[in-house]
Amino acid sequence: MTSLRPILASAWMGIQHDIAWTTPALSVSLRAVAPFASAMTVSIIYWFGTTNGAGLFVPAGLAFVLIGSTLYAHVASYAWVPTVAIAEGKNLSVFPHIYITSRSTAFYTAGRLLSAFVISAITSLAALAVAYYVLGSFFGTQIPIVVNPWSALLLAAALVVNIPGALGLGYLLGAYSLYASKFEWSLPGYVAGLLMVFSGALFPTTILPWPISVAAYYLPFTQFITAARGALLPSSSTGYASAMGLCLAGGVCLLALGLFVYFAAEKKARKDGVIDRRLA
Amino acid sequence: MVARALVRLWSIFGEPLWVVVNMGFPVLSSLAMAILYFSIGAISYVGFAVLGGVMISFWGNVLWSMASQFNWDKQEGLFEIYLTSPASITAILVGMSVGGIIATVPSAIIVVAIGWAIFHPVVSASWGGVAVTFGLTLASLYAMGMALSSLYLAYGRQAESLNEVLQEPVSMLSGLYFPSLGSASPFPLALQAVASLIPLTIGMDALRKTLFYDNNIGQVAPDLVVLAVMAVVLLYLSKFALKWLEHMGRRDGTIAVRIR
Repeated sequence: MTSLRPILASAWMGIQHDIAWTTPALSVSLRAVAPFASAMTVSIIYWFGTTNGAGLFVPAGLAFVLIGSTLYAHVASYAWVPTVAIAEGKNLSVFPHIYITSRSTAFYTAGRLLSAFVISAITSLAALAVAYYVLGSFFGTQIPIVVNPWSALLLAAALVVNIPGALGLGYLLGAYSLYASKFEWSLPGYVAGLLMVFSGALFPTTILPWPISVAAYYLPFTQFITAARGALLPSSSTGYASAMGLCLAGGVCLLALGLFVYFAAEKKARKDGVIDRRLA
Repeated sequence: MVARALVRLWSIFGEPLWVVVNMGFPVLSSLAMAILYFSIGAISYVGFAVLGGVMISFWGNVLWSMASQFNWDKQEGLFEIYLTSPASITAILVGMSVGGIIATVPSAIIVVAIGWAIFHPVVSASWGGVAVTFGLTLASLYAMGMALSSLYLAYGRQAESLNEVLQEPVSMLSGLYFPSLGSASPFPLALQAVASLIPLTIGMDALRKTLFYDNNIGQVAPDLVVLAVMAVVLLYLSKFALKWLEHMGRRDGTIAVRIR
């Protein structure tokens, strides 16, 4: 309970920070624009490439890239929040108020990440829903995504199981911000780009050269997207249960690594007196 | 103008790691789109993804280092110095643009080099047409950045949220990775008309024609004229908008308010 309170307080602060700069409805709507546009871009590339190239346009293939592109954007948009929370906190002198408390800043970053997860889950699913209808209308096709209470439950479970992995990645990135005050604003681009290439969001990881394909396959984010496809695309051959298991196992390992690195960075940053340094 | 351009160049080339940092998203997104084209058997269109990666470098620079720059300068207290200096604000913006373009070139070259080395995209170029189109696209794109920078001055920290809202939709509508204009576009005519108001859309369309379909300057002349007109109009728009916002800011006493 004593650990839960600072996390919830930080999560509430994150909600206020992320959506209270304007009316909540407008803010959430605006946040859905980027994942929607991203999903549209990738889906249109699939359509353009298959209708003009040597391939064949298959609605199931469109569903594959639509789900993947929406969900990689979801992970990218909340996994880097600890980085920006710390960097912005340092820049605006908010962060000293966090680290002088008796608690580790890890509670603060966890809370901020969880609030971002909730917002991102809402906006990503909204983007997926809108893109589903717009793409169906553009291409005059029925995208074979199945939404019913059971598939929604499976998808929700996949979203939750992915949290430890995202939190681990968040801690790893946040550790950098604790210690340095340079280049951290560019990290989101790297996170989004790496997820695009290595998480199987847009194409199967098997297309990547060995051993990158093996490493990419075992990423918790790859397994999360696989599980989400298993939930929404009943025709897909992916095993939902095994993907969930691998996602959770990989996520826990990543979280353990992230916490280890984060605590080490926090200790060193305090010792070296750089934890509130605005500029490197 | 030269002084502001030099500051921007020094900020990038004085810390070479910035080049590596800036190329991250363009390289990786270009790579992802190229592999997507490759995976669906559309190997002949892999070049579109490489070109998109090059142009997204400049679009990112316009959005985050032009449009938002005055807003950040205001937060740091630099904007007041610009206003009190005898230099014209437009000259400072042009200097920022020139510096930004030169500073982004290494990132764009790395995207091309990596794309070329991995995918060997098929190119059938009219290089004169490519050069003129590229130059005019950048001119109109950075003029748009100048106009946005004045608009963003009217906002506080909401500017960053606006940037995040603008980045992806503009990338999609302008067809960074696929044709968004003409018969190959998936967009209805009305949406294509809206997309045409963005300089990057016209520029990407003309660049694809000159780089992959051997269209010469004459064949893309209408596109070039539109880009030139857009560059001039947006340049004047930014000048007048800045004057007006400066006037309003002085009158309301908000011009030096750092964080809103």
